[in-house]
Amino acid sequence: MPKVLRKYWRLSQRSRTFATIQYLLFMGILVWTVVHGANQMGYQWQWYNIPDLFVKEFRGEYYVGRLTKGLWVTLQLTFWCVGLTLLVGLITALLRMSNSISGKALATGYLEVVRNTPLLVQLYLFYFVFSPILGIDRFWTGVVCLTFYEGSFVAEIIRSGIQSVDRGQWEAGDAVGLKKGDIYRYIVIPQAIPIMLPPLTGQIINLVKHSAIVSVIAVADLTTEGRNVIADTFMSFEVWFTVAGIYLAITLSLSIFVHWLERRAAFSR
Amino acid sequence: MQRKKTKLNWIDALVVLSIAIFVIVIVRRVESVLNYTWDWSKIVPFFIYVDRETGEWTKNLMIEGLLMTMRLAVYGIVASAIIGVVMGLCRISSNLFLRMVARSYVELVRNTPPLVFIFIFYFFLSTQLMPVLGIEELARSDSPTVQWLIRILCGDPVLFSNFISGLVCLSIFEGAYITEIVRAGVQSIPRGQWEAGKAVGLSGFDVMRSVILPQAVNRIAPPLANQFITLIKDSSIVSLISIQELTFMAVEVGVSTSRIFEIWILTAAMYFVICYACVLFFNWLERRAARARR
Amino acid sequence: MQKPIIKLRGVCKLFGQFQALYDVSFDVKLGERVVVCGPSGSGKSTMIRCINRLEEHDSGEITVDGIELTEDMENILSVRREVGMVFQQFNLFPHLTVLENLVLAPMRARKLSRTEAEKTAMEYLERVRIPDQASKYPAQLSGGQQQRVAIARSLCMKPKIMLFDEPTSALDPEMIKEVLDVMIELARDGMTMIVVTHEMGFAKTVADTMVFMDHGRIVEVAPPSTFFTSPKSDRTQLFLSQILSH
Ligand SMILES: Nc1ncnc2c1ncn2[C@@H]1O[C@H](COP(=O)(O)OP(=O)(O)OP(=O)(O)O)[C@@H](O)[C@H]1O
Ligand SMILES: [Mg+2]
Repeated sequence: MPKVLRKYWRLSQRSRTFATIQYLLFMGILVWTVVHGANQMGYQWQWYNIPDLFVKEFRGEYYVGRLTKGLWVTLQLTFWCVGLTLLVGLITALLRMSNSISGKALATGYLEVVRNTPLLVQLYLFYFVFSPILGIDRFWTGVVCLTFYEGSFVAEIIRSGIQSVDRGQWEAGDAVGLKKGDIYRYIVIPQAIPIMLPPLTGQIINLVKHSAIVSVIAVADLTTEGRNVIADTFMSFEVWFTVAGIYLAITLSLSIFVHWLERRAAFSR
Repeated sequence: MQRKKTKLNWIDALVVLSIAIFVIVIVRRVESVLNYTWDWSKIVPFFIYVDRETGEWTKNLMIEGLLMTMRLAVYGIVASAIIGVVMGLCRISSNLFLRMVARSYVELVRNTPPLVFIFIFYFFLSTQLMPVLGIEELARSDSPTVQWLIRILCGDPVLFSNFISGLVCLSIFEGAYITEIVRAGVQSIPRGQWEAGKAVGLSGFDVMRSVILPQAVNRIAPPLANQFITLIKDSSIVSLISIQELTFMAVEVGVSTSRIFEIWILTAAMYFVICYACVLFFNWLERRAARARR
Repeated sequence: MQKPIIKLRGVCKLFGQFQALYDVSFDVKLGERVVVCGPSGSGKSTMIRCINRLEEHDSGEITVDGIELTEDMENILSVRREVGMVFQQFNLFPHLTVLENLVLAPMRARKLSRTEAEKTAMEYLERVRIPDQASKYPAQLSGGQQQRVAIARSLCMKPKIMLFDEPTSALDPEMIKEVLDVMIELARDGMTMIVVTHEMGFAKTVADTMVFMDHGRIVEVAPPSTFFTSPKSDRTQLFLSQILSH
């Protein structure tokens, strides 16, 4: 390696400041490229219109903006899905660990189907096939589909959480004469929950992310509202970056929470 | 957990009963309320039909779509593996700047919804990058060899630039996940291997190439195979930016024939068969590799 | 007086807030056999790992065979080629056969041809008495054999100095001797060695100098005769009484 390059490398290893400056420069160039490219095509930046999409002031009165409405739907969707997903996941995990033949078969079949088909195709299947059959609206079609999808992951998290509890704990429970249900309740579950908590929170992150897909069936969530605003106002860049920013804010704060949980779990052991 | 023998018990009764009720409700609703009559024969021509003029069997939309999905998956895994290896090495580099860039890339992609990512990136690509790269000109070139190559490798030349945008979107998206796979693979090699390599006088580059990577490959391969299956599934999302792959074609056929139930059940089944076949194949490979290692 | 081949002057080493080495100064002459001992966590590994810069020292000066260890990568590489190191956990490359383990560095770092490198490798495998295992993988060998391969791997770079970091403490008792025998032979051939070990029998047989470390400091340096019979420091005495009692 030439000497200059080696000096540069050394400095990037050592100096946080130097690396940060490089990073900021790099990001600056990236942003500049995008802005410059947009300007080249005659793009009209309208960042000043963005706050209106959150809260709109009209003759002294305040109205909820479109993105806020969308965000609210996304949160509602997430809320229902989290509850239902836990239920589906728990049932599936228990069936999978049960000693019943059909229970195992059902759980395994469900997991394999979900794992081996795209979420989008599942959504179309629910929207075009199951929702007319069962007569449910778009929002609940979205909820059911996402539950069906995420439930498979939650089932695996719960199962591996329970199975990660040492075998000896079962034997100890047996040895002191506890019934199977009590062993679960007093010994296994309390130990499994701290193990399951970080991945379960991670799954909520995924749920928030994946919920964007319901915009395909025109549920009025954040992404749909974003697309509609763009269709009306042509502020593609501003709106997309804002929408992505909102999702990032939610998911990143959840992942910080996960890190915290993980660290806490690691310390308590 | 005791490993008990599976046997029939009350859970089975419950499971069978609920399945039965579910099926009966569905069948009754389909027949009475929706009045839906199944007709599978209508969609067969969308897979394959006899051309009137030549009298030959010809593939139609669904098969075209399937081919497109396979192309996306195969090119996508290659491209995203390249991105993943480069970014993965940056992610563990001793150069802080490279680490910061790689980390930002990974976090950004993994924390935005795939849909939003694809829309943003597609918009950016199709309006800015594609014109600069001159993909359109390439697709419109009159050279018959170029046209032939594009047709074989990437489908209809008219949609070539569209295809490339979709492929790039998908690769950059999956690349972030492969970055993490590569990082985890390399970091799973014990520190002692680095130290031993350095202690015998190898340069950092040589330690990486001759000691670390050969061992990391074994640990990277299984999750990478998994990522291939994920890629097949995720490729359905690019139907939303009008890449004419399987899901896109299914939407088209569904609209034009109104055989909606049949087409979606069939499409889901096709994805399932492909992905599940891959799962079985990769499992078989892994077992074979494990046996060879012993 | 002969010039020292290894020279440490006021070496300090920090791990974050924790100071692992305090002002360590110390010389090793060509052909000298040094045995380092001391309680766990006293900085023995840290010290010898600084000598081939597996750890970077924070202040002070380390010179090996006239080359000062600085950030200069060329210097570091040439020092590492002069200095062999044997680890507690062997650290053989598990994806390579024994022979490939041995020829890797000579071929890549010394640019020897494969035939040359293999010839040397076989010589050293003879010396550690396992030429018949050349085509096996490390996982197929016993711990003692693996450690002997690790020694041979270092010797293949024809080092002037060998560092050993508790080479026998990961071994079952019945394998310790076969590794120590190889090391004793190496000492007889005049190799400059720094050995971190708790094998006091070995120390008495081969050491020219005993070094006792505690809490990141060198507490005592003495020839084995005085070191074992009349140590100056109380801490050395205490340590010796503990280690020799079993
Ligand atoms: N990479 C590291 N990060 C932080 N602290 C470290 C690191 N390596 C060593 N230390 C600390 O430095 C001190 C000295 O460690 P060192 O390994 O040199 O001791 P040692 O004398 O070799 O002990 P042992 O006999 O257990 O091998 C210890 O307290 C250890 O905890
Ligand atoms: Mg040590």
